[in-house]
Amino acid sequence: MDWGAIFGGSGLTVLFSSAVLLAMPTALAALGETVCERAGVLNLGLEGMMLSGALGAFLGAYYAHSPVVGTLCGIVVGVAMGALMAFLSVTLKTEQVINGIALVLFAQGMTAFLFEQLFGGEKQPTIPGIPDLKIPLLGSIPGVGPVLFDQNALLYVSGGVALAIWLLLMRTRFGLSVRAVGERPEAADAAAVDVARTRWTALLICGGMAGLGGTLLVIGDLNLFQPNITGGRGWVAIALVIFGRWNPLLVFSGVLLFGFADALQVQVRAVSGGTTTAVPYELFQALPYIVTLVVLVTATVVARSSAQPAALGIPFHKDGGRS
Amino acid sequence: MRRTRLRGAAIGLLAIGLMMLLVACGGSDNGGGNTSTGGSAGASTTSSAKKVGMALVLPCGSSDPWCNQGFNAAQKLASEGVVDLKVTTGAPQDTAGASQVIRQYAQTGKQLVVAYSTWADATNPVATKFPKTNFATFGIKPTSNVALFDEPIYQGAYLAGMIAGGVTKSNTISGAAGQDVPLCHAEMQAFEAGAKRTNPKVKQLTTYVGDWNDAAKSQQAILGQVNRGSDVVLACGGAQATGMAQAIKGKNVTGFGYVSDTSSQAPKNIAGTVIYDPYPYFKKMAEDTQAGKFQPGKLYSFGMPQGGVKLELNPGYSVAKIPASVKAEVAKVQKQIMDGSFKVPYVPTGSGGS
Repeated sequence: MDWGAIFGGSGLTVLFSSAVLLAMPTALAALGETVCERAGVLNLGLEGMMLSGALGAFLGAYYAHSPVVGTLCGIVVGVAMGALMAFLSVTLKTEQVINGIALVLFAQGMTAFLFEQLFGGEKQPTIPGIPDLKIPLLGSIPGVGPVLFDQNALLYVSGGVALAIWLLLMRTRFGLSVRAVGERPEAADAAAVDVARTRWTALLICGGMAGLGGTLLVIGDLNLFQPNITGGRGWVAIALVIFGRWNPLLVFSGVLLFGFADALQVQVRAVSGGTTTAVPYELFQALPYIVTLVVLVTATVVARSSAQPAALGIPFHKDGGRS
Repeated sequence: MRRTRLRGAAIGLLAIGLMMLLVACGGSDNGGGNTSTGGSAGASTTSSAKKVGMALVLPCGSSDPWCNQGFNAAQKLASEGVVDLKVTTGAPQDTAGASQVIRQYAQTGKQLVVAYSTWADATNPVATKFPKTNFATFGIKPTSNVALFDEPIYQGAYLAGMIAGGVTKSNTISGAAGQDVPLCHAEMQAFEAGAKRTNPKVKQLTTYVGDWNDAAKSQQAILGQVNRGSDVVLACGGAQATGMAQAIKGKNVTGFGYVSDTSSQAPKNIAGTVIYDPYPYFKKMAEDTQAGKFQPGKLYSFGMPQGGVKLELNPGYSVAKIPASVKAEVAKVQKQIMDGSFKVPYVPTGSGGS
């Protein structure tokens, strides 16, 4: 096994830029989920929102021949899915777990169905992608440059959005309302915060973020759509929100760590492989999960307290408190 | 409060029910609309009575490289008036789910049900309950009414490897496969053996991505191989082929496509595709069903000489020039494979190379 090929010079650059690429779609979805969980809504429909956003982005870019239109479509479809979740969970106050799972099943079936109806039997259709963008000067810094400043243009936008979400949640009045609604909705209600509206908004943001995550995969990376293209990234994002203790910075770091471990296992197998499996790949496949689990469980044990929003998963009834 | 909660759960269950219904509509029979025109419009009553009722169950959408070949081959057979076709695309990939779809077709009286994946576990239990129905799938052992396909794509991969050996400048080539299954293992081994025939210095890197559906991860694996020096890549798996096309386009290296022609995704970079064509399989199975010769189930085998596999070169390929001597050698070996004087080594498991 030639470790130098992975950790030496250009190998390391490939490893980190691969990590950023693999992590970013999950990171966007995870940050969106952080917002809605901090508002007290457990949104298990994240995978479905990503998947729908991915198809929306693909169709937009395909029919308008424009990756920008595609990106907007991806976000809009994600927001629409967020609205559906909000209608079921906040307005109708139905069981959030059931709603989330139903949303994923619905999106999986619906996206596969629509794609099959539109393109069934044809060769794999492709769309124009957003080009890579090397930022002058910064992109030439050895090591860091190629990893952070010579990436797909949509990746920078995603980074900006991630930062904005952190600011929104932790540094604004709206963010305070979101957190209050997730901890003590009755108190927030008494302080004239509209609980339903705040949760609705949080879910719309969450949907948009998940949609953007799916979009990034389709437009920023692959330039095509396949059924189940998100490959479970939404589920991983939900797990990382819990392990990241609902703190956007910790969640983001957790996703990056996961992305790094994921990229590492892919690179280890790319470098080590003879035709006969030299490294048991099933073992390496589990690496990202093991690393993330160990780090974040350790963090939780060290913190010694639960960070879970107190009202998570509980519908709010204005007249009679929690049901 | 409890009533409200119950009402909430009820509405939730109703919602899930409605959505499941939509999912079911999405998952099954959506190929039926496409297939109903398949050659039946102008056929007379007599000829339509002779048609074999065939159902094709595909594990992916019909644009996926693997399913696209199965779909088109069955459509061709339908348009020739040989079969009356129903298709399910994107069938559940788990044994229980696939089994349900297969059972549905057996129940509705289809004579030939083709489960187009390694679905022996899903097919065999249904087959024992419907002994008069003929089934076909990919597997190890045929039964009385379940026949098997073989997948000799390694034969085409050998020729692709010969070209790879000729065009590589770094003497490093690579392969990316979904899982280490016999189909891909044999393909990777043959690719390496072919490359070593034209260039004994060649070294091959192989990655089993561990996932058939994740194109983004496959792309990253292939980028890792290219970074390690590989300048010719072979894919085994639908997502691997699409991930490969994106990776080789970005790095401007050579690649070989998987099962169906995907050269439009990287027109200058894809040198050729190892095509797998199930048409001769479907045709023979339909004919055998019609003649009552399908049972006991057998292994249907159509290699390169019988038109089941071929290497299709992409005329637009321009990243490297295939040396004339290599082209001539490939033509010679292809002829030998066709007339049976050369047999490509089949190595489905274990080692045989590096």
